[in-house]
Amino acid sequence: MKSVTVRIAGANGDGVESSGALLIKVAAQNGMHVFGYRGYQSIIRGGHVWYQVRVSDQKLTSHGDDINILIAFNQDAINNQRSHLSEHAIIIYDPSKAKVLPEDEAKYKTIKLPMIDMAVQVSGDPIMRNVVSIGAAIKLLGIEKSVIDDVLRGMFGRKGADVVNSNIKAADMGYNFEGLEKAYDIPHDSNSRYTMDGNTALSIGAYAADCKFYAAYPMTPASSILHWFAAHANNGVLCKQTEDEIAAINMAIGASSAGVRAMCGTSGGGFSLMVEGLGLAGMLEVPLVVVESQRTGPSTGLPTKTEQADLLFVMHSSQGEFPRIVVAPRSASECFEVAAEAFNLADRYQCPVIILTDLFMSEHIESIDGFDLDKVMVDRGKVTMTNTAGGRFKRYLLTEDGVSPRALPGTPNMEFVAGSDEHDEYGDLVSDALSGIDKYVEIRERMHEKRMKKLDTMLANESIFVPHLDFKDSDFYLVTFGSTTEAVREAVDRMRSEGMKAGIISFNYIMPLDKGETKRILSGKRLIDVECNFTAQLAQVIMANTGIEIKDKILKYNGEAITPGDIVSQAKAILGK
Amino acid sequence: MPEKHEINEKVALHGAQQKQVYTSGVKPIWCPGCGDFGVQAGLIKAFNELGIDKSNVVIVSGIGCSSAMPHPFSTYGIHSLHGRLLPVASGLKLANHSLTVIGTGGDGDGYGIGSAHLLHSARRNIDVTYIIMNNETYGLTTGQTSPTALQGRKTKSTPFGVTEMPVNPMALAISAGATYVARGFSGDPMHLSQLIKGGLSHHGFSLIDIFSPCVTFNHDNTYDWFRSRVYKLEDVKHDPANMAMALEKAMEDITSNYSKLPIGLFYQTDRPTYEEYELSLKDGPLAKQKPHTREQIMEVLEENR
Ligand SMILES: Cc1ncc(C[n+]2csc(CCOP(=O)(O)OP(=O)(O)O)c2C)c(N)n1
Ligand code: SF4
Repeated sequence: MKSVTVRIAGANGDGVESSGALLIKVAAQNGMHVFGYRGYQSIIRGGHVWYQVRVSDQKLTSHGDDINILIAFNQDAINNQRSHLSEHAIIIYDPSKAKVLPEDEAKYKTIKLPMIDMAVQVSGDPIMRNVVSIGAAIKLLGIEKSVIDDVLRGMFGRKGADVVNSNIKAADMGYNFEGLEKAYDIPHDSNSRYTMDGNTALSIGAYAADCKFYAAYPMTPASSILHWFAAHANNGVLCKQTEDEIAAINMAIGASSAGVRAMCGTSGGGFSLMVEGLGLAGMLEVPLVVVESQRTGPSTGLPTKTEQADLLFVMHSSQGEFPRIVVAPRSASECFEVAAEAFNLADRYQCPVIILTDLFMSEHIESIDGFDLDKVMVDRGKVTMTNTAGGRFKRYLLTEDGVSPRALPGTPNMEFVAGSDEHDEYGDLVSDALSGIDKYVEIRERMHEKRMKKLDTMLANESIFVPHLDFKDSDFYLVTFGSTTEAVREAVDRMRSEGMKAGIISFNYIMPLDKGETKRILSGKRLIDVECNFTAQLAQVIMANTGIEIKDKILKYNGEAITPGDIVSQAKAILGK
Repeated sequence: MPEKHEINEKVALHGAQQKQVYTSGVKPIWCPGCGDFGVQAGLIKAFNELGIDKSNVVIVSGIGCSSAMPHPFSTYGIHSLHGRLLPVASGLKLANHSLTVIGTGGDGDGYGIGSAHLLHSARRNIDVTYIIMNNETYGLTTGQTSPTALQGRKTKSTPFGVTEMPVNPMALAISAGATYVARGFSGDPMHLSQLIKGGLSHHGFSLIDIFSPCVTFNHDNTYDWFRSRVYKLEDVKHDPANMAMALEKAMEDITSNYSKLPIGLFYQTDRPTYEEYELSLKDGPLAKQKPHTREQIMEVLEENR
């Protein structure tokens, strides 16, 4: 695999993000594979932000470690990023904005690109330096100039010929800057790929599954799901920004009760407010999909940084016991698949499904060849239109599999009241006046068993509740879940290319778990746990389900995304290599 | 601002095909004499007079004595969480606006723990009829103070007397943007049934606050206490279309030091509902729209090239 890592750095408002986005589009259009991730803060102007774009001839699972090309918009960019440069790095900077230390001048190749002057020359607007700089970067990457021209035409066509032309001119100035030459040789094919972040893939997966209702209160890093649904009001989805997350989850429960596939989403803080609603869905047995995109906690934490520390929280949140499914997608394309399937699981088992992502998963951008839409099937479960038994409809009928027939309001002769209090088969309460009376003690027992029975049913019917093993017969295995799987994949590739027999055991569906099968997969192996939290929460889940204790751990909790380099060096230290 | 659009599926309120029985046979759990019986009677009367189709009705409640309201009814119902009936009701309404969605709960539920939802549902003008049984106490949790308890009142949780101002539900709802704002008294089920009927026929968010005495835990605000203070707005010169006048009547609780409590329709106005502005509902109720097609899915995917 050949790859080049470009990091664009500057202040908020400098156009760092638009530069990164442009480079991603151009590389994907050029038939390369791309992976992007950005570092930013909760401020709108100033500060220090960066966007890392990695391009390759093969599918990437990480934004990489060291920087090959640094595009520096200001002095801070050089000062903060110089420690991340790789050996033969190239620094592109604007001499009117920054200086390079003499020792760096000697060590790296530096290109003094007067980006601001050039931008002002073509458009009168210094912001156009983003296009100038990406023009220069693609020259280094060996991408034809016509590719960026096409992309710019696509992006700005609607704004008229003048805007398109000045953008193309700006790219030209960067591309044809004196002394600039192709520096890397990355093979590419003729496919143009989708590029999207995890939240977009998740939103489209939900859309493909016919989700028509999304409710949320803004919170990083889940907000872009809200924006996606809001922007698609004319494509048959209703999106509601609510007064708080409590309203968001309860509205989704209301919408789902009416028979519409509904989802709500938030980060850990908002999920804390949703917890009571989660239990309501469990008790009413209403299908519900909830997205929890984690960020660094506790409390407000680092709002724009990543972590995986809410796993145990989402697994155990809300009082009492009820079946729920927790799934942590392992790539942007898996966000699509998981979201599409989550609605079927929620409908089939009439329970909440929590999609656990994190800032890294929500925001990193991947190039994706395509999605298999034939695999997306809609199964609404036991929705019933006719009351075959006659008499009052038993919404909570005691059944073998624990799943009862469900009727939707508006259907004649199926009327029932669903209650958050314990209830009998009709939905009539057995709580206030009746609790403690023998007959009702028994009803409570049966009803609780009925709900919990759904866990056995889903474990028996679905083959998803097991970890995935890659590279059989390895000497050791990195055990991980969700977004961290991406960096682990590359770490394992790197170790294998060095002759180490490394394998991966990764979890996406974490709750419930097929204990026997999970134990079989993990048993008798040298295991190293890799996750982004302090208390090794996945390892705790594994211990609780299988009795297997993983002693060696690679844990990261500084808010930055874990990289393959982090993992390789720590794994080697653990293994004594 | 998006334009208001005609809602294809008009609310199927009146004229059910067959004679309907609105009771399920489940007995309410209330103490004998509880004000909530009067509200139940008023609701049944309103349903009967409108000939409402019971399979198109959902009664959503919170938690509290009054929130047991859905159970004696043969309509659909959701007995949800304390304070959360409005979001649940709103979700139902947005997902299927051909349903008649009614909220029922207590003063603690609506003006305390759920107060944010009241404010925002009112400004949205979502077409939900919200009936609050206001007994000025917390019944189910055995008699603590409530957001509508009068200053000085001694309760289990305020043994030295309430010091906070009570919420003014009518003024709150009018200023928040509710388009049908009324108050009734469960000692007069005939009168309150007309208010409920008005709310159910109204297009937009209705708040109907009903003085509904708790005979077990509130010995201050009894039937007699209310009876000696309430008077009907219909009997005086009041114009419900006049917001200033409505607010003035709402403030009479305070200006009369709670000696004169008007009941009746305070305020009503015609403003497009949330559903009428919502772009995604142009083609009818969400629940009745066709599943997203492969072409539609490809369209949203292709945005990402
Ligand atoms: C989150 C939460 N907090 C507290 C309670 C306990 N609780 C149940 S009902 C209630 C208040 C009841 O008063 P009100 O809403 O006025 O209804 P009423 O019983 O008087 O009809 C409380 C505090 C609860 N069920 N849920
Ligand atoms: S405690 Fe009060 S509010 Fe509750 S049922 Fe009895 S009388 Fe009614």
